[in-house]
Amino acid sequence: MTTSQSSAAPAPTDRSMPPLLRSVLGGLVVAVPVVVIGVLILWLAPPYQVRIAFAGYVNLVIVVGLQIFMGNANIGNFGHSAFVGVGAYFVAILATPLAAKKLSIPNAPFGLSQVVLDPIVAAVVALGIVGVLALLTGFIISRLSGIAASIVTLSLLIISHGVFINYTDLFKGAQAFFGIPVVIGLPTAIAVAVAAIVVARVFRDSQDGVQLRASADDVLAARAFGVNVVRLRFKAWVLSALVCGSAGIMYAYFMGAVIARAFFFQQVFLTLAMLILGGMRTVSGAVVGCAILSIGLEAIRSLESGATIMGVQLPEMLGLSGLSLGAVIVLGMAFRPNGIMGRLELDELAAGWLRRLRRS
Amino acid sequence: MSDPSGAASFAALDQPLPDPPALLTHRTGMLVVENLVVRYGPITAVRGVSIEVGAGETVALLGPNGAGKTSIVSAVIGLVPSTGRVSFDGRDVSGLSPEERVRAAMTVVPEGRRVFANLTVAENLRLGGFVRRRERDQDAERDRYLAMFPVLRERLDQLAGTLSGGEQQMLAIARAMMSKPRLLILDEPSLGLAPRIVARIFEHIVELKKSGITIVLVEQNMMQALAVADRAYVLSTGSIRHAGPAAELRADPRLADLAIGGH
Amino acid sequence: MDYAIQQIVNALAFGSEYALLALGLALVFSIMGLVNFAHGEIIAVAGYSVFFAVALGLQSVLGAVTIAIVMGIVTALVFERVAFRPVRYAPTTTGLLTAFGVSIVVQNMLTLFVSPKARAVPVLGPLNQTFFIGPYAVSSLQLLELAVTIVAIVALVLFLNRSLLGLAIRAAARDFSTVRLMGVKANRVIATGFALSGFLAGVVSVFILARRGSVEPDFGSAPVIKAFVACVLGGFGSLAGAAVGGMVLGFLDVAILVALPQKFGGLRDALTYFLVGVVLFWRPQGLLGRTVELGDKEV
Repeated sequence: MTTSQSSAAPAPTDRSMPPLLRSVLGGLVVAVPVVVIGVLILWLAPPYQVRIAFAGYVNLVIVVGLQIFMGNANIGNFGHSAFVGVGAYFVAILATPLAAKKLSIPNAPFGLSQVVLDPIVAAVVALGIVGVLALLTGFIISRLSGIAASIVTLSLLIISHGVFINYTDLFKGAQAFFGIPVVIGLPTAIAVAVAAIVVARVFRDSQDGVQLRASADDVLAARAFGVNVVRLRFKAWVLSALVCGSAGIMYAYFMGAVIARAFFFQQVFLTLAMLILGGMRTVSGAVVGCAILSIGLEAIRSLESGATIMGVQLPEMLGLSGLSLGAVIVLGMAFRPNGIMGRLELDELAAGWLRRLRRS
Repeated sequence: MSDPSGAASFAALDQPLPDPPALLTHRTGMLVVENLVVRYGPITAVRGVSIEVGAGETVALLGPNGAGKTSIVSAVIGLVPSTGRVSFDGRDVSGLSPEERVRAAMTVVPEGRRVFANLTVAENLRLGGFVRRRERDQDAERDRYLAMFPVLRERLDQLAGTLSGGEQQMLAIARAMMSKPRLLILDEPSLGLAPRIVARIFEHIVELKKSGITIVLVEQNMMQALAVADRAYVLSTGSIRHAGPAAELRADPRLADLAIGGH
Repeated sequence: MDYAIQQIVNALAFGSEYALLALGLALVFSIMGLVNFAHGEIIAVAGYSVFFAVALGLQSVLGAVTIAIVMGIVTALVFERVAFRPVRYAPTTTGLLTAFGVSIVVQNMLTLFVSPKARAVPVLGPLNQTFFIGPYAVSSLQLLELAVTIVAIVALVLFLNRSLLGLAIRAAARDFSTVRLMGVKANRVIATGFALSGFLAGVVSVFILARRGSVEPDFGSAPVIKAFVACVLGGFGSLAGAAVGGMVLGFLDVAILVALPQKFGGLRDALTYFLVGVVLFWRPQGLLGRTVELGDKEV
């Protein structure tokens, strides 16, 4: 059977390049729009918009992290915000200066209310804690498949939120944990986003990633080929958790305050929507979905609070942003059921066009 | 068999394509398929196939795996999109949904039987008669096919999923017949069944044939199919390579090597 | 002893509500593989319909119940026709996200066009009386919930096992395209499934309305998450599993409520979901799910 285009594996643009380099370059290509937009915002936008953009970049890192597990293992994941929260909370606990910390968690266990760590050290420790949590939960989740795994991730989300809210000695409950040193700006966020994209891309194209995706489609066949599906899922889960944890750390170090509510259903559903809308099979899908929904939501939110268009004052329309978000999602799924990006990464698509141009 | 699918041997038939199979003398065949093309994305599975089946005839569609036989069946019954025309009993059904075609008295016994495993034999049969549900003789029809396949009567309250392959095939046929079709399309009834069972199934197909129903028989098992059919088309990679009366094809020395399952 | 019986009645009432919710979800999932996150919005619209009817002068309990149920069915059918039909044959995540999108749209429409705040709907108060059987204080609403759930389940079982359309629905849960080969219109099977699910949603909305006495935009969303979990707990896609899962979750909820000391009250949800996780790890296919070994022939 002849096919006019191969949609299975990326046609290599240069067969002599080692696969790792190809993946890294591919990831960088995908990251280009991310960097360009970021630089433009830094250069042109007023500070409050930089702040909004930062939130968008945090979401981007989360969505990319989500893609690592969900896009490769094809299992719905509701628990990623747990890792975001753990990352954020632990840098809060470890790096907040003593004076502010006493106001928030005076009765912290293990003498944590007396401990202050350097922000970088705190970040590393927090990431380590995220890793440990990922290893423990991954042990369970990698052994489940399909809907049971998804429900367990949901359990993880609800349990983590419950702990954040109720273990007030350590997490300050439902109130904002403030006073975290603000040590990160948009440039760092952009860099972290690029790193996350490259990591996700390298994993996706690696032997582990390819095998995991194949096994997601047919577990029995994969096992027959000696593929250890459990080990692969475990890897994807831990990697995904670490990326999401980094997003949380980023968030804490920019906002200066964290609150449990931020790491619950709203974040989960927003990031899920971004990923599925963009196309969960590819890292580009994560990027595209995040970009579209972030920009769209912001545009609508400004309308929501009663913007003035051409001299006409519009009334306050609470719920408009949600309404539009929902409408975009429903329409998007109706017209592009597999997400906007489908199966090919941006650079693979571009390479395909170039080849066809060259042929004609 | 070193070449079970017979694909290499079919290549021996790859002389310049013969003229399109001569149309039957009666202009209105029961089933007329004109220039059927079926594409799945970039892959063309059926490349402009034309077939005619007269009323009361049994016509076989033969060919190895991947020849496009099941795609033709899916397109004829409307489950996959296609271009070209499908006419049934003089009426153009190309625009009808599968449900409407079944209501028009075409029916398919799908490849792999596809009995409803979580329903009992009786429930399967009852669902088969869905399009005739308002008619009063449903019970009589059912008894007729239980008489034809006595083993089903024994297993009436058993879950269809627990039946053996041969029993499931019989159930699938009986279920299809419950809708009182005028055209019965059988997609690979011998698939996965032992030769002895296959022979029994084909005996039943002959019984059905004798009742006057028009049958399209899609098969990889050439010898069994040719023993039962009046005419046959041989397909390979989406096109018709050869066609003619079954007797002729049976006697063709080139095809004698391609018998799958029949010795 | 009285306390124990009180709690058992509580558990049965909770369980019934979860069971009805879970059945609504399971019906739609089993037919078309759609995880209907918008089920909660069907409940909400039904509730708001009663609110509007009351605002227009409705006073009878029976009228309110009828409106809730009818609007439940109508809403479900509208959702199917408008939002879910285009993604009918798409992968599960697509349907999940579409349902979620519908949910957001409807909730925000209710916020935007009615009010973000709760609105009182007192008409169903009469259903929620406390009376005494001997020394026991019993809520009429709880008894009603239990009774209605039993009747609904029996009716559903009869429908699915005896009627031809019910057979088609059960068959469609396994093999949708072959059901079409029987001449059964795909649209009819799916619409029936949604209508049934809408009916159940309407019934649940009556109960929630009777208990709360008011409606607000997220009226239905919290229960739906529980319902989803109940489905998986019982065995996803199986209707019996949904009912059983709902009951078990109800009992679990009440057991935790009773057993957990007051100061850990906030951890109730966390503990519930932890136990659910444990059950799923031990039995991933759910309590009533079949263990399908990879490569098994279909049974």
